[in-house]
Amino acid sequence: MGKKRSDIYSVEIHGTQDPEKTDKEDEEEKYKDLKGNKKKSKKTEDLKKELDLDDHKLSKEELEEKYTTSISKGLTSARAAEILARDGPNALTPPKSTPEIIKFLKQMVGGFSILLWVGALLCWIAFGIQVAQGVASAFDNLYLGVVLALVVILTGIFAYYQEAKSTNIMASFSKMIPQQALVIRDGEKREVSAEQLVVGDMVEIKGGDRIPADIRLIFAQGCKVDNSSLTGESEPQSRSCDFTHENPLETKNIAFYSTTCLEGTATGMVINTGDQTIIGRIASLASGVGNEKTPIAIEIEHFVHIVAGVAVSIGVLFFIIAVSMKYKVLDSIIFLIGIIVANVPEGLLATVTVSLSLTAKRMAKKNCLVKNLEAVETLGSTSIICSDKTGTLTQNRMTVAHLWFDDQIYSADTSEEQTTQSFDQSSQSWAALSKVVTLCNRAEFKPGQENVPIMKRVVVGDASETALLKFAEVILGDVMGIRKRNRKLAEIPFNSTNKFQLSIHETEDPNDKRFLMVMKGAPERILERCSTIMINGEEQPLDRERAEAFQTAYMELGGLGERVLGFCHLYLPEDEFPDTYPFDTDSMNFPTSNLCFVGLLSMIDPPRSTVPDAVSKCRSAGIKVIMVTGDHPITAKAIAKSVGIISANSETVEDIAKRLNVPVEQVNKEDARAAVINGMELKDMTTEQLDEILINHSEIVFARTSPQQKLIIVEGCQRQDAVVAVTGDGVNDSPALKKADIGIAMGIAGSDAAKNAADMILLDDNFASIVTGVEEGRLIFDNLKKTIAYTLTKNIAELCPFLIYIIASVPLPIGTITILFIDLGTDIIPSVALAYEKAESDIMNRRPRHKKKDRLVNEQLAVYSYLQIGIIQSIGAFLAYFTVYAEQGWLPNTLLGLRVNWEDDYYNDIEDSYGQEWTRYQRTYLQWTGYTAFFVSITIQQVADLIIRKTRRNSIFQQGLLRNKVIWVGIVSQIAIALILSYGLGSVTALNFTPLRVQYWFVAMPYAILIWVYDEIRKLFIRQYPGSWWDKNMYY
Amino acid sequence: MEMNATSGGAEGQREIYHLKPENKDEERAQHSEDEQEKRKEKMGKKTLADVIQEMKTFLWNSEKREFMGRTAQSWGLILLFYLILYMFLAGMFSFCMYGLLLTLSPYTPTYRDRVSPPGVMIRPYLHGFTIAFNVSEPSTWTPYVNSMHHFLQAYDDNIQEEKNIECPAGQYFVQDGAESEERKACQFKRSQLQNCSGIGDPTFGYSTGRPCILLKMNRIVGYRAGYGTPVSVNCAIQKGNESALKSVDFYPGNGTFDLMYYPYYGKLTHVNYTSPLVALHFTDVKKNDFVPIQCRLNGEGIVNDVANDRFLGRITFTLSIRM
Repeated sequence: MGKKRSDIYSVEIHGTQDPEKTDKEDEEEKYKDLKGNKKKSKKTEDLKKELDLDDHKLSKEELEEKYTTSISKGLTSARAAEILARDGPNALTPPKSTPEIIKFLKQMVGGFSILLWVGALLCWIAFGIQVAQGVASAFDNLYLGVVLALVVILTGIFAYYQEAKSTNIMASFSKMIPQQALVIRDGEKREVSAEQLVVGDMVEIKGGDRIPADIRLIFAQGCKVDNSSLTGESEPQSRSCDFTHENPLETKNIAFYSTTCLEGTATGMVINTGDQTIIGRIASLASGVGNEKTPIAIEIEHFVHIVAGVAVSIGVLFFIIAVSMKYKVLDSIIFLIGIIVANVPEGLLATVTVSLSLTAKRMAKKNCLVKNLEAVETLGSTSIICSDKTGTLTQNRMTVAHLWFDDQIYSADTSEEQTTQSFDQSSQSWAALSKVVTLCNRAEFKPGQENVPIMKRVVVGDASETALLKFAEVILGDVMGIRKRNRKLAEIPFNSTNKFQLSIHETEDPNDKRFLMVMKGAPERILERCSTIMINGEEQPLDRERAEAFQTAYMELGGLGERVLGFCHLYLPEDEFPDTYPFDTDSMNFPTSNLCFVGLLSMIDPPRSTVPDAVSKCRSAGIKVIMVTGDHPITAKAIAKSVGIISANSETVEDIAKRLNVPVEQVNKEDARAAVINGMELKDMTTEQLDEILINHSEIVFARTSPQQKLIIVEGCQRQDAVVAVTGDGVNDSPALKKADIGIAMGIAGSDAAKNAADMILLDDNFASIVTGVEEGRLIFDNLKKTIAYTLTKNIAELCPFLIYIIASVPLPIGTITILFIDLGTDIIPSVALAYEKAESDIMNRRPRHKKKDRLVNEQLAVYSYLQIGIIQSIGAFLAYFTVYAEQGWLPNTLLGLRVNWEDDYYNDIEDSYGQEWTRYQRTYLQWTGYTAFFVSITIQQVADLIIRKTRRNSIFQQGLLRNKVIWVGIVSQIAIALILSYGLGSVTALNFTPLRVQYWFVAMPYAILIWVYDEIRKLFIRQYPGSWWDKNMYY
Repeated sequence: MEMNATSGGAEGQREIYHLKPENKDEERAQHSEDEQEKRKEKMGKKTLADVIQEMKTFLWNSEKREFMGRTAQSWGLILLFYLILYMFLAGMFSFCMYGLLLTLSPYTPTYRDRVSPPGVMIRPYLHGFTIAFNVSEPSTWTPYVNSMHHFLQAYDDNIQEEKNIECPAGQYFVQDGAESEERKACQFKRSQLQNCSGIGDPTFGYSTGRPCILLKMNRIVGYRAGYGTPVSVNCAIQKGNESALKSVDFYPGNGTFDLMYYPYYGKLTHVNYTSPLVALHFTDVKKNDFVPIQCRLNGEGIVNDVANDRFLGRITFTLSIRM
């Protein structure tokens, strides 16, 4: 066993099962693969050594000696402080994060930053050369270089800040509930935070507590723990102080960190804390699973490559053209800078970050807490969701689902907020059954909850009894009162040998002196004890026919995956059992057979009422929902059917076999849409077989799976090129959560390790929240497309001036600084505003985007923005430019080839078209007026661009011009900034703006209108002729 | 309630059924393509040859007859589309420009606020404002002299007499009438510059170390310089020792621009207009030194103290005369 335990994972997987060697090796390989490097295997070796825990074998005295502590008095505070200083706090070290400075530097060189750094560097080189040559305007280049560097640094700081902020949300979240532990120190009991626990501390645990560290139990009473976070098995396991197994993981006298104590009390000695705990070691291994790039990161990289490629190639092309046109090399370098600045959307990456964080906030409101901003979009591109059942798809509480009495099955309401039950309650049989249900029940409401809705009240008792209690309370009301009026005289609690529970009561009818004996239990056992059955309030003999009816009902309810209980009663004859009869539960001095069978109740952990809707939404959104559960296949299938994961009319291979009455092997697997795979089958499957199942069946349920198999399933899905979302709560889910494209941890039931490994946390544990998340994710993808299209458009209008300037030698239409004012000034708020755009109607009715085919920035988007709208914008802006010059005396034909003279500092009497003579500064001022006019024209046309980008397919009027108010804030801000720049800062020479004549604001208006009209026509044709040439080439 | 739940689910699935057939085909198509890709990946990293092959296929895919991802027909359509789009845009732009030009007068610019008040320039102009020469080396000053002669050609007395008319001095020469009518220009004869006319001394004093410099006010359509009183010129050392510049002679008159040369009616109608000049004759300037001199226009409406524009109503140049 020792050797087989070489990998900690295999211990978990096969913790209680018999491991098959081959299988195991397979699995080990998988994990090595996962870890990706060999260093880890050394670490595993270390872990193996440490796992040779022998504390469970030691006696109390040996333990006291080993940890120099006292079982009765605990550690002294001083000693505890010493050990705390030595071992560190009892908390899991969060996965090693990149140092802040590295994160910061990454922001400084990521994206377009490199390009801008190159620009800044070129500026400074040009400055140096010009200073050496004594050129008067040399300092312009210095400033431009500084500005470019500032732009990079500021956007870097901004992105860094945004990222840090979203990480902080996470940090605050995990600190929300500090865990407390009851510890004995200096001979006194005191509450300390669980982080302060040290090895050797004596701690007390009671039902409901989370185990604060790995604990060797010294004393235990009825203690049961839920090890699901460790093993995935949610079956309660009893704990005592006896050494029962060599394997520390299986012995009963050790309780593990982060598992829960379900009931009973225990006292134990802390033997491991923090990362040394079993869970800690698993968690540290899980953090070794590499994180892959998120889809949106890939998309943005792709987009940066495109834009940078365009910038560099146009830059270099025009550098060559400029040099061959006999421009000075230095001038050509300055052109190059201009082209780079014009081409790079400086503000865009910041905008994307803001948009993502806005969506993250919106999602947080809808109970999806996103740890990593980019995960926002990943959720949108999800094509497979592997979901847990318990708690995620279901309500995580037993609820009465069906009743059987009077030979008939009734359904009960299983929704979250049931207030009434609507089945027929007039039958006398129901009265009898309700009495049994009420009385034969040990569960009680905790006092002081009169005002709490019944379904939300806290109950002391096990799951099924709780369900029955609440069920009775809803229908009858005041169960406790009924119980008081029917005083309990004797009781035999449920145990696994006799499988029934029994109690004897006085009746509330003062005239009826008989005692009522009520009994519930496993239906077949109850039936054995009955000789009659109640039909419509009448006792009738339980003949064969009735017994068969019972069998049918029992099978039917069992087939629904429900837990069925039988109920019976017996009025004890007054003469045999007088008032004073001494009931003795040990000798059972009362009849326990020939009872009267009353009915059956079946319970299930019902699906959350929002889930079926959410699943069908997933369906229509092309997302495959796979259920992965540790539960029984029948229950799993039943829940899957009721929530629609397996649709009503689809069959599994087994179903078809049953229907056609042929062996399973003869069924054509392609005919079965659904599949229910057992964990045991999965274990024996090859990768190819698993792939086949994942491809061939659209509705899949994996039952009886261990959390480790979840990882195999996730990998299988990823082999199909799917973007996989995985939900999980246990520590053992963390590798799967890490491996998934988006790991979703449960906020309520989830363990810290799971939350650490996940990209997203579902605050309400509700599957439906994932679907809203998907919707948001898809929306943000669409909206980012719009934002990018919006931002890219004006790049052409910024680039063309430089190209025309170089080729036609006209005075420069727009300056580099002015371009930066567009990119980082007027355009910022509008492009963020697009993130608020509502979805065009079809968002959840289309298939998830294909990772490799549906790009964020595709050819159509780039071409439409650059070569169509961008060109229109350039033309509009040039019209304004020519207008300004012409009205001042420089007709367009004069401008051609004017550049050299125009920029000559000594030439102070250049003639314009009218024979007037201009000084250099007068020309420069006119040039700035031209910049301002060009700038204003771009801004005005960007307003139109912003409006058209609201939709990609629908008409703006379908979308509603006024529905997104933020767009209007954007437009107002855009115009306000332009006004301020022109009129407010027009006198600041360094900014190159001038107060512009009012009419120049309207020169580009016809082109703004043209943009709108043209785009409406484009969208109209796209809607009219889907799939046509136009649609293929014009829809982005 | 459970029934409700299941029926809700079923409703969704009915839709799915409708979607299914076409979706499945798509899915399969996707799978097969993906598998191809995967196979490629399995074979290992792409080699250079693969990349070149891919590029080749991209450039010309003989199987699908595609050039850069498009068939001939597709290219034809897309080029046709852009041809039409750009032709439309070009047409619209031309139309707008035509409209713009219609609003402009060919005789007077719409706005003149950026070109006034007038700037100042000097001659000789050899791309710079440092006039440095050695009296004893004619090659150092001949370029200046040539520049002056070249500039003054248009002012030759016979040319002026032939083309322009004599105007009454001391008042604006206003010529009302249709805008398109040709305007007469007033004579400004070279001889008026006296010692700096280059007639008596064809070296404009450069050969004697007493150089002439011509000062010219920039032309502005319709501008009435001085608002009634002629604009005058004065010169001073810009910074430093005042004694470096002992005397300057101004021609014609006392260094004023006579009112009769204004207003200017624009290049189209005022064809033979010659800008009036003021000659500065630096008769006694410190030799063998750099002497920075600033000459300013003085008169109403003249601005000569704007920090940004060092040529507005003033001009600064450096004289460096070596003996």
